[in-house]
Amino acid sequence: MSAKPQSGGVVLGMLALAAGVTALSRRRCSRARGAGRRTPQPTVTAARRLNRAAGLIATSTLLDSGVEHYRGSFHNKAMLTPLVASALTFAVSVHGTGDDRPVAHRIRDPIYAGAALTGLVGTFFHLYNVGKRPGGFSWQNLFYGSPLGAPSALALSGLLGYYSERLRGSGAGKAPRVFGLRAGRALAALTAMGLAATAAEAGLLHFRGAYHDPFMYVPVTVPPIAAVLLVETAATHPHKPRGLTRWWLRLTALVGFVGAGFHIFGVHRDMGGWHNWRQNVLNGPPIPAPPSFTGLALAGLAALGLIEEHPNA
Amino acid sequence: MPERFPGYDVMARRDTASWNDATRKAIDARLATRDSPEFFNPEEWRTLDAICERIVPQASGRMRVPTAALVDRKLAEDRRDGYRDARLPPLREAWRRGLAALEAAAQVRAGAKFHALTASAQDTLLRDMQHGRLDGEAWGDMPAELFFKERVMHDILAAYYSHPESWNEIGFGGPAGPRGYVRMYFNRRDPWEAAEAKPGRADKARKTNQHAGSLEQKVLTRMNADDRG
Amino acid sequence: MMNVESNEPGDALQTPRGKHGRAPDPLRVGGWMPMREYPEDEAVDFVIVGTGAGGGTLACKLAEAGFSVVGMEAGAWWRPLEEFASDETHQAKLYWTDERLCDGADPLKLGSNNSGKAVGGSTVHFAMVSLRFRPEWFKCRSLLGYGADWPLDWREMWRYYREVEQALKISGPVTYPWGPPRPRYPYRAHEVNAAGWVLARACEAMGIAWTETPLATLSAPRGLAHPCVYRGFCVVGCATNAKQSALITWIPRAVKAGAEIRDLAMVGRIEVDDAGRATGVHYQREGRWRFQRARNVVVAGYAIETPRLLFNSANSRWPDGLANGSGLVGKNLMVQTNQGVFGVMEDEIRWYKGPPSLTLTEHWNYTDAGKDFFGGYAFMAQGPLPQAWASTQACNRGLWGETLKREMAQYNHQAGLKIVGETLPQERNCVTLADEKDQYGLPIARVTHSLCDNDKALVKHSIDFMSASLDAIGARDIWAEADDSAHLNGTARMGDDPATSVVDADCRSWDIPNLWICDGSVFPTVGGVNPSLTIQAIACRTGDRIRQLAARGEL
Repeated sequence: MSAKPQSGGVVLGMLALAAGVTALSRRRCSRARGAGRRTPQPTVTAARRLNRAAGLIATSTLLDSGVEHYRGSFHNKAMLTPLVASALTFAVSVHGTGDDRPVAHRIRDPIYAGAALTGLVGTFFHLYNVGKRPGGFSWQNLFYGSPLGAPSALALSGLLGYYSERLRGSGAGKAPRVFGLRAGRALAALTAMGLAATAAEAGLLHFRGAYHDPFMYVPVTVPPIAAVLLVETAATHPHKPRGLTRWWLRLTALVGFVGAGFHIFGVHRDMGGWHNWRQNVLNGPPIPAPPSFTGLALAGLAALGLIEEHPNA
Repeated sequence: MPERFPGYDVMARRDTASWNDATRKAIDARLATRDSPEFFNPEEWRTLDAICERIVPQASGRMRVPTAALVDRKLAEDRRDGYRDARLPPLREAWRRGLAALEAAAQVRAGAKFHALTASAQDTLLRDMQHGRLDGEAWGDMPAELFFKERVMHDILAAYYSHPESWNEIGFGGPAGPRGYVRMYFNRRDPWEAAEAKPGRADKARKTNQHAGSLEQKVLTRMNADDRG
Repeated sequence: MMNVESNEPGDALQTPRGKHGRAPDPLRVGGWMPMREYPEDEAVDFVIVGTGAGGGTLACKLAEAGFSVVGMEAGAWWRPLEEFASDETHQAKLYWTDERLCDGADPLKLGSNNSGKAVGGSTVHFAMVSLRFRPEWFKCRSLLGYGADWPLDWREMWRYYREVEQALKISGPVTYPWGPPRPRYPYRAHEVNAAGWVLARACEAMGIAWTETPLATLSAPRGLAHPCVYRGFCVVGCATNAKQSALITWIPRAVKAGAEIRDLAMVGRIEVDDAGRATGVHYQREGRWRFQRARNVVVAGYAIETPRLLFNSANSRWPDGLANGSGLVGKNLMVQTNQGVFGVMEDEIRWYKGPPSLTLTEHWNYTDAGKDFFGGYAFMAQGPLPQAWASTQACNRGLWGETLKREMAQYNHQAGLKIVGETLPQERNCVTLADEKDQYGLPIARVTHSLCDNDKALVKHSIDFMSASLDAIGARDIWAEADDSAHLNGTARMGDDPATSVVDADCRSWDIPNLWICDGSVFPTVGGVNPSLTIQAIACRTGDRIRQLAARGEL
């Protein structure tokens, strides 16, 4: 193998890491800047964090469904839908992240709802596709058929975004509630579910890869622990210290980015490396998948923030 | 017979990740085979060439596969298969004897050389050989039908289907490695595979086949330029 | 792109590579690994003739047990990453193409079909199908009423199957539908290709179970070996090292443990002293005959070269060949019937993609009811490359001219099912010496083979069943292959009785205590599965047994 793909892999891995660090540090900057100007409503801060989380998950979905549906040759035109939905979700999430008004946005809102719906419909499509293959819901079809868990990432992105819009509208001063539920706790539960489901999908696909590398156990251990900590913190607040949960969520965010780096290395080490990218990007480990964990961890941090601001949230 | 894979050319992928250096070397050498004998004498060569044309007739408008020359090289190098029906003499002798016996039969039947016969007369002789209906001293103890099956068919088909042009005809993906295939399910085609002409849509397949090749070549030219730089 | 070292020696077929204290490292482009070398005039503990599934595996096990081992290989030491082309003709360099004569009512086809000549033997170009025997087959005379009992217990064999499956990181289904429970395969099954799905649909239409084929090719990375890229040239040699051949697995392990492998080294004769013990082997390398002294000789040349070497080693004391007190050396040659049924599908199949047999059914190995014959068969999905497919069409249907070309044009819609069918041991099926000599001046083998009525009844049953199953899923132009076979076994069978077998359960010959036979030759029966996993399991067991015997001073 030539040196070129190798260096390409390293460069891409470092880019992914840099992106991760930037995302985390920008988060800190924006908070500091916001605090200097005026004190925003805590619900709006949380909502913006959720926009960011939704945007990150949407990016992951956009790239992942793009690659996977390209592998499927877009043989059904409906396979374009998640690309459109996740691209729009990404766009409105960027907009939402920069928007500190305490009201739901009339374009963001329906787009988020649409993304959630698309994810739901996609899940049914994938279930149908797997079910009709010979062998039905066998390991073979779970491994290589339409991935059952993938569309729910889009649904999750939409839900988080939709939730952020509700949060903005929930008003200041009192403990925020969404759909009659205490917002912090509900969001923590939603995020924990997302983390658990995404870890389950990573578990399935890493099982397909026979856990040939011990690092493949990381995404099936770190995020579920984050989910447990998040739920526990939400349930026992305010009597529980939150430091461990916060740091564990940050670790989970990092896992998502480092995971992408590992996957980039995985593509490079397959036969022909990056010279054979048309095969290895599709058949090697999915590079855009791991950052979903980062998005979910950011959502978890937003939930944690809400709970801190409003012990009753 | 209309072309099933119009515009498809395995060779369009020669410089892509579908081929490695070992493959390029092997196929380049095959394509450089001169269409003239190294082992057979001119008379045997004419007979062999005529047989090849009947066993694997070639469409006009496509590159001609030098089938007889590829068979000839197998004999020139005495490349054997690792087994031999005990009723047959060794590779070279079997061919020499078989070609002579076929010529003898052509002489008896039609008073002419095999290559000078009409296609249908050639086919009749070959079919008689296939079914063991040719005899005569020239065969010795070699059964004609066995010579037909184990030498004529085996060696000629192996020669013809070793040539990229034959792969174009049948839509075979050709060399694959380091890049193999991704899309494994029914009716799924990787972009570097042959597109099949559906009834009345030959143009669409042609476009796909030509586009796949040319896009790939463009990207590669750039990548190779990068490599040099 | 390739970075080839400038000190790369020339043609692997001309110049030995396992020399000067080093050997090619097949996992690195241009790489070498250090290799111990043993002098010829000092006896090594073991000289092993052949480095395939039997010899390569045993060389590894014995070297790792601390014995001094020299492996002799008539073929070349290839570097798959650099030297394997995607080309049927070119890759003939992997086959045993030295002349052999075939006769009998059903003469065999050898060469590419079943005979390798390379470091790693036939495993370099095998189809990677790695199946366990049905437990009852080890006692098929007692339990099923045919063939001969093995002197081995299935439970012990299943432990060794596990060892081989781990060593080769077999990719297989999560649960296997037939036989007693087995541990999960180390790697997951590969994605099934359309040709494999045809088998799945066909089995479901007939109401029988199917599964992904356990294959010795990686579905995930393993060290420096790449996972499979589904290029489909498996049976002409894997250029990515996904295939876990002996060349990639056992041989590097053996070399690391201190074994020396000599490539381009053709053994022509085993020397036996007056005391009736083997003293070493005469072999030809770099154009001259040499002699390697050894305390033990292991013959692992597969079911044709093994008896041929024993015959060519005949002397005044053993005029009928070594280890032939029973008169059974060379007899009971068993192939597996390999007939297929083919049809044309409406769907595009493109069966050239991926390993050829990604799915299979062992239904008729594990079901005894409804059979009018002894033995069993598995059948598998197919994916022949163009030359092989043209040859199948021509040999079985006699097609040529425009008719053939029309049939060939359906290549991408073609699907097929093919059996690995058990044949019964028959003494008339045998390997003997012919009068012709090969390039080393050694008499060549004559291979005599005829199917018996039971074999034909099995084939007919399978063809009827597979034809019906293809018909049930809407294939058209269905036709059956009359004549094909695979694998070679049985010419030096193992047993409990010196009168009716050549070697004992430890693969030790009854007649010469330091002469061993370790390859498919020792099979008393063949079952209906590909033999490579069983050959390797036997080699692992033999390695363990030799270690135990040596510890007890019984070598």
